[in-house]
Amino acid sequence: MISLYVILLPVLMALLAILARGSAPLVRGLAFLGGIGTFALALFLAGSEGFNAAWLPGIGVNFALDATGAGPVLVLVAALVMIPTLLVAASRVEKGAAGFVALLLLAQAGLNGIFLSKDLIVFYIFWEATLIPGLLLLGIYGGDRRRQATLKYLVYAVAGSFLMLISILALKALSGAASFHITELMIATPALSAATQTWLFVGMAVGMMVKLPLWPLHSWLIDLNEQNHPSGAADVLGSLYKVGAFGFFAWALPLLPAGAERVAPYLLALAAVTAVYGALAAISQDHLKRFLAYGSLSHMGIIGVGLFGLHLAGLSGAIYFLAAQMLSTGGLFLVAGMLYHRRRSFSVKDYGGLAKSAPAFAAVSLFLIFAYIGVPGLSNFPGEFMALLGAFQTSPWPAAFATLAVIAAGVYGVNLFQRLFQGTTTVPTTDLSPLELYVLVPFVAGVLWLGISPAPQLRQIEQQASLVTLQLERVVEAQPGVPAVTLAELPGGER
Amino acid sequence: MTFPPVLDVDWSALAPALALLVTAAVTLFFALFHKDSRHVAITALIGVVTAFLFALARFLEPGEQVASFGLRYYGDTMALAFTFIILLGTALAILVSYDQLKRQDLDRPEYYPLMLLSALGAVIMASSGDLITLVLGLEIMSLPVYVLSAWRTRDRQSEEAGMKYFLLGAFGSAMLIYGIALLYGAGGTFVFEGLAQSLAGGQLTVLATLGGALVLVGLGFKASMAPFHQWAPDVYTGAPTPVVTFMSVVIKVGAFAALLRVVAVVFPQLSPWLITALAVIVAATLIIGNLSALMQRGVKRILAYSAVAHAGYLGLALLAPDHGGIPAAAFYLTAYALMNAGAFAVLSLMTDANDRGDDLDRFAGLGAKRPWLAATLTFFLLSLGGIPPLAGFAGKVLVFQAVIEAGWYWLAVLGILTSVVALVYYFRIIAYMYFRESEYEAPSTRSTATNVAIAVALVGTLLFGLFPGLWHDLLNVGQTFIAGF
Repeated sequence: MISLYVILLPVLMALLAILARGSAPLVRGLAFLGGIGTFALALFLAGSEGFNAAWLPGIGVNFALDATGAGPVLVLVAALVMIPTLLVAASRVEKGAAGFVALLLLAQAGLNGIFLSKDLIVFYIFWEATLIPGLLLLGIYGGDRRRQATLKYLVYAVAGSFLMLISILALKALSGAASFHITELMIATPALSAATQTWLFVGMAVGMMVKLPLWPLHSWLIDLNEQNHPSGAADVLGSLYKVGAFGFFAWALPLLPAGAERVAPYLLALAAVTAVYGALAAISQDHLKRFLAYGSLSHMGIIGVGLFGLHLAGLSGAIYFLAAQMLSTGGLFLVAGMLYHRRRSFSVKDYGGLAKSAPAFAAVSLFLIFAYIGVPGLSNFPGEFMALLGAFQTSPWPAAFATLAVIAAGVYGVNLFQRLFQGTTTVPTTDLSPLELYVLVPFVAGVLWLGISPAPQLRQIEQQASLVTLQLERVVEAQPGVPAVTLAELPGGER
Repeated sequence: MTFPPVLDVDWSALAPALALLVTAAVTLFFALFHKDSRHVAITALIGVVTAFLFALARFLEPGEQVASFGLRYYGDTMALAFTFIILLGTALAILVSYDQLKRQDLDRPEYYPLMLLSALGAVIMASSGDLITLVLGLEIMSLPVYVLSAWRTRDRQSEEAGMKYFLLGAFGSAMLIYGIALLYGAGGTFVFEGLAQSLAGGQLTVLATLGGALVLVGLGFKASMAPFHQWAPDVYTGAPTPVVTFMSVVIKVGAFAALLRVVAVVFPQLSPWLITALAVIVAATLIIGNLSALMQRGVKRILAYSAVAHAGYLGLALLAPDHGGIPAAAFYLTAYALMNAGAFAVLSLMTDANDRGDDLDRFAGLGAKRPWLAATLTFFLLSLGGIPPLAGFAGKVLVFQAVIEAGWYWLAVLGILTSVVALVYYFRIIAYMYFRESEYEAPSTRSTATNVAIAVALVGTLLFGLFPGLWHDLLNVGQTFIAGF
């Protein structure tokens, strides 16, 4: 049941925040309560009992949630990131903070649904519903060119996900599965012919590529981050809402293994290009948020490389990286917001030498930048390393190309720190305020936690990743219709 | 086939229609003595609720007889489901009209009896098992709406709307009746079941198919499917908004209920090119409806073209009657009735006394000035666009699932691509409300009755979105959904 509460609690808090919109302290309290409460629930999520109720039994849709595998890890890390983000939103958004907080909470509920649902239609519902809070955050609270950015985001996301919906519906109709539950689908769909699987996989992949995002379907992300509210809180949500990789991992790859084998090499190439393109583009950015957007795009490329290598280590590493990047990317977006709060500018040129007057700020930022570029011992490293390692086993050349992005990361990371915090002092600036300190502590703690002790989370992720590889092996065995996986082996299999 | 003795009347199936008829007569009588139309409105609402209760009683305890008058008037699940939707739409429209007619200077009490008569016609259409009953229902439904469209007398636009609707509607009726004549010539009977049986032999298929095509055209007019949709945008713009609230829902339900029954029972016996023609019409409706809506600046016109587009989505269900298309269509129409009536109800509060001021610019900044109004409209628009977890999404999933299972992949892909376009124009209105500053004074109209209508529509949109199984399970009773089919 915790898997249900982890979705309902943020929704409830969002509604309360809207009702309490007249009183700023109350909104702040609700934001904090929503963040902490969801995090507390998420701590007990892994391995807790699932939830299942008929939703649209006429066509075989069940509201099925389940807390096994990678989902709970992602929910937990997202919940950790959301606590400080909600605090920033409640205190740094001058106009309409209640709405901002409510939209963040609604988006968090949707994210949790994406990570925990075990029914494909329910997954789609959360996938699509989560788009709306993100759109409204950008459109209502964004910068001058927010309308164009919103339209771009809407068209990219909706065009992709509607095609995905057609694939999803055809998946059941063509395979003759009894319902949209993952266990029933996983038994029925691999029996589809390779050609059919390829088409269905392409349909799903379009929607997921947009939200991974992969080059050349990435450009909405850059505009979104540039135009979002300067506090950076909405950008944190953006970095959580890159759920395409999870969609591939949990649904497209295990359900359509033959299609995946055919299409994956092309996606792998795109992912490698994305990784290097993002890193190179980041080097030349002057706008702080665009810089972070491109850097994060490069991370997403590496995640894609890990996924489409179709190797156990790569798959687990990619999802671990997906969880870890929430911390470093999210933290840096809030740092950018704090800088903007001081100087009203996102241009890197306007900064320099901040370390002299704000040493603590500089130290924390350096720490987060190190995590961001994948320094060993910090959160991004294990995932990044495993993703590339896994891909090397199956496709060394694209993996080698993608590794260039890691080298470039060192360049842009250090370069960024130097331009912001070192060099000649421009204007003295204030150091971290207590609020900002509280906001950044969870990120630092999380970066250390995921960097130093990755094993427990990786075990959970690997449990699900091995399913994907099992399904892929069935293609090699080429025994259509004969389930090689028994029900009990699947997540939530005892349904 | 042997028919039961002529007067096999099942009164429980007829009760909802009779309740509407009696109320229409009573309210017409009332209208003679009351200057204030509100009493009439309340009486009309009571009549609608009574009809609803009769239908509910029949729904909960279906009699042994599925139809009256020798399969000419059905009281099966499908007829009752559509009756519910029609009554829901009528009730919402009465609420929207209740205290807005006065403001808009349309306050003549004959308004409500006409609306009830039109609803009666739609109910008869939904229950018809015979082509003559179908025509009767269609005319009873249409004639009052022609009058209501021109209700704003001395307003050129409204008069033009009524006139245009009347002329094109008469043309549509003529087509329908001609088609019926041909079908009768080929099959020797008006009853759907009898037609299906006598045409099964395969003689006179060409004649019958021609008749079927003309019936399709006639009903396509009422359902506003392209290329027979041209009246819709002009009539929607010209007619008073409360009237549009009514007709955008009720007329569409009546037309689609009849179409579903004809397509499911009679069309399988006709030449297969007719189904292909239907598929082309559906495709054209999807493309023209959505692309035209994208070009509009008036919100009323956007919603008018969106109503055309929704006829296209419902048309998808028409193509899959054997694959769950019928319960899908019934669910979709329920969702459509709620969200569309809700959107028009909000719109009725936005427009000024002359029903003008629905330009997109007027919606700028509404999110800040009338937050609740803007929020509810956002809900309805997102639901119309098929965003989960609202009723429109569940309807869309059901319809697309049906059409995919029936094997119409190209139509499914076309439908989904046009849905992207649809979301853009729906979201455009939301973007105006929230992402822009206002240049006009916020509309000051407030109306308790309209608020009740909006609340009902909102609760329904959310309820059927969050728990679609509640309603779909009742509809999805398999083969017996169309009695005798």
